[in-house]
Amino acid sequence: MPHRFPPRSAGTPLKSLAAGLTLIVGLSGCATSDALAEQANAGDNKNYIAGDGSVTEYAPESRSEPVDLRGTTYDGTVVDSADFTGQVTVLNIWYAACAPCRVEAPDLQALSEKHQQSGVQFIGVNIRDGAATAAAFERTFGITYPSIDDTDGAVLLAMTEYVPPQAVPSTLILDRQGRVAGRIIGLAEKSTLNALITDAVAEQ
Amino acid sequence: MAPDSQTETQPGSLNATEMLQWAWRQLTSMRTAVQLLLLLAVAAVPGSLFPQRRANPAVVTQYLEDNPDIGPWMDRFQLFDVYSSAWFSAIYLLLFISLIGCVIPRAGVYWKHMRARPPRTPRRLSRMPEHGTLSLPAQTAMTPASAVEDASGLLRRRGYRVQVQDEDTDTPSVAAERGYLKEAGNLLFHVSLIGVLISVAVGGLFGYRGQKLIIEGESFTNTEISYDFFFPGTNYDTDWLAPFSLTLNDFDVSFDRSETNYGNPVDFTAAMTTRENPEAADRIETLRVNEPIGFGGTNVYLIGNGYAPMITVRDGNGNIALQGPVPALPQDPTYNSSIVIKAPDAQPDQLGFVGFFLPTAVVDDNGVAFGSDPDPFNPQLNLNSYYGDLGLDDGTPVNVYQLDTTSLTQLNGRNTPDGGITLGAYQTYDLPEGKGSITFDGLKRYVALDIVYDPGKTGALISTSLALTGLILTLTISRRRVWVRASTHDDGRTLIEYGLLARGKDQGLSKEALSIGAALAAQWSNTLHPANQPQQEGSKQ
Repeated sequence: MPHRFPPRSAGTPLKSLAAGLTLIVGLSGCATSDALAEQANAGDNKNYIAGDGSVTEYAPESRSEPVDLRGTTYDGTVVDSADFTGQVTVLNIWYAACAPCRVEAPDLQALSEKHQQSGVQFIGVNIRDGAATAAAFERTFGITYPSIDDTDGAVLLAMTEYVPPQAVPSTLILDRQGRVAGRIIGLAEKSTLNALITDAVAEQ
Repeated sequence: MAPDSQTETQPGSLNATEMLQWAWRQLTSMRTAVQLLLLLAVAAVPGSLFPQRRANPAVVTQYLEDNPDIGPWMDRFQLFDVYSSAWFSAIYLLLFISLIGCVIPRAGVYWKHMRARPPRTPRRLSRMPEHGTLSLPAQTAMTPASAVEDASGLLRRRGYRVQVQDEDTDTPSVAAERGYLKEAGNLLFHVSLIGVLISVAVGGLFGYRGQKLIIEGESFTNTEISYDFFFPGTNYDTDWLAPFSLTLNDFDVSFDRSETNYGNPVDFTAAMTTRENPEAADRIETLRVNEPIGFGGTNVYLIGNGYAPMITVRDGNGNIALQGPVPALPQDPTYNSSIVIKAPDAQPDQLGFVGFFLPTAVVDDNGVAFGSDPDPFNPQLNLNSYYGDLGLDDGTPVNVYQLDTTSLTQLNGRNTPDGGITLGAYQTYDLPEGKGSITFDGLKRYVALDIVYDPGKTGALISTSLALTGLILTLTISRRRVWVRASTHDDGRTLIEYGLLARGKDQGLSKEALSIGAALAAQWSNTLHPANQPQQEGSKQ
């Protein structure tokens, strides 16, 4: 009998269906313990995704195409990635109220001065601030290299094709062909960044 | 299930294998599934009682700060991560196993039911819940075999699956059954249920979800960098971020101005310029509550909004230290909002402000300003000011919506003798001690967006729809059996017997019996003896 005439009331399948629905609502994600998830759960309202300081250096043969981006600096100068050819370029993604950005700013300025003779060009990419706020930051830390006003996200979007920056701050080192040679996610440690720049400069 | 459970509930003298079998049968019984389901529903209750990290991590952090004694204990029991907690997952996994263990054998059973031939004709049709007899006069020359053939054709036309039996005997019969779609529905329901479970798992494993606040005129690019909060799925990979971007051109809230619901929001409309990828053309789209904008599999939902006053802070040296919109967090339906303004690049001292933004400020009898309307008829900022170390310069992440005053010195405030800062639109306030000034330049609105990528969503929708379809089929279609047997009476008449049986409850069975009786009678009406009308009851032989 039980196999031929399953005794089921009308409520049973309804409840089973409810199970499915409950699961959809309740379990759209499982527990993870990676750095991103931890940040999300911290609930500190810092309002940015911080990097873990991870460093990636790309060997010349494993580099992607030269980056293709355009932006306008706060002083109105147009920056085109076509101009990057023949020089080592350092792109630093930042904004004024980002705590690690404030910590690394003096180091970035020092390195930009140090490598100036080798033709290394530092370019900031500010993703949040208006001109006056950005200028105040540059005044505080004595930053002399230009920054692109990327509050519209155009540079950020263009970069996703090559190596997506994952956190603020992020620093990308482009080789003489404009390809991404190195990437630091999070606070750029001075000696690490210096080594990445030195390596890129040493290439011919 | 139920009939077996009598023997199953005596595990006293079982060996290990039998014990495992017993446990498996218990786990995969529909009763256990339903109990687990109820348990899951109960276990989900804390998820709506306490703040959840997935919904708003900031509220959880605040809750922990407000309840230093019990908070950490609640956290230990994962009451702020209910849906990903060990205990909730345990119930979910058990339910998952239980359902699969229950559904797969059942699917097999329904598959067999669906393909089954009608069963043998019972010996006594008069024992069926619905039955009747007809007799055909001897002179009609209707043999039992041809009568059964007629009946078989009639039943087939009525949608029955038929099987003629005992053709070569004196008492041939036809067995007929209909409602196989009920089994198909059952099968569909159970298989779809597994589909739902898999879809949900896929969503949890391969999806992501994030939140972002954007002010009018601002843009959002779908990269991790751009998010305020980001929740990756278990197997999340950066490559899944579709490279779309959107700009909030304008955000409009209309409030009810009729007397009954005065001040209630009626409509939220966000005018957006969107771009599917860096190369794509701009599109103009409108985002509303429950009307998300889709980019491939990623949906953008409008989940919140508020005001962002435009602020200029000048420092002690007369330079602009901060200029731009600062989001204020609404605290009540009239959009009275808390606001924190930080100017870390003010010199010689960093400046911080904390207070309220009121869209329509009205001063009460005690001289206290309060907000009376959600629309910005008389926008006002009420602030306390501080100078010193904002705590941003050592690299530690800091809550942008809170001002940590431990390393700060208060300049003025509501409780200081000269009072706090009250700023109407376009007004400037000079800070004491020549520390600088603050100007209220204008007002913008912002929206809070929920950006969700759930690759299991389509599967879940399809599975749920199919499950529902299957359920409707199962519940609405009746499975019925009809047997018609013909025999020759001693006096030469052809005697027709029929009986009906339903599987499960079937309100329409007696109606069907009448209808079949009438149809059979009509079939042979020209040959039928006038005295013989279809009889539904009491014709036991």
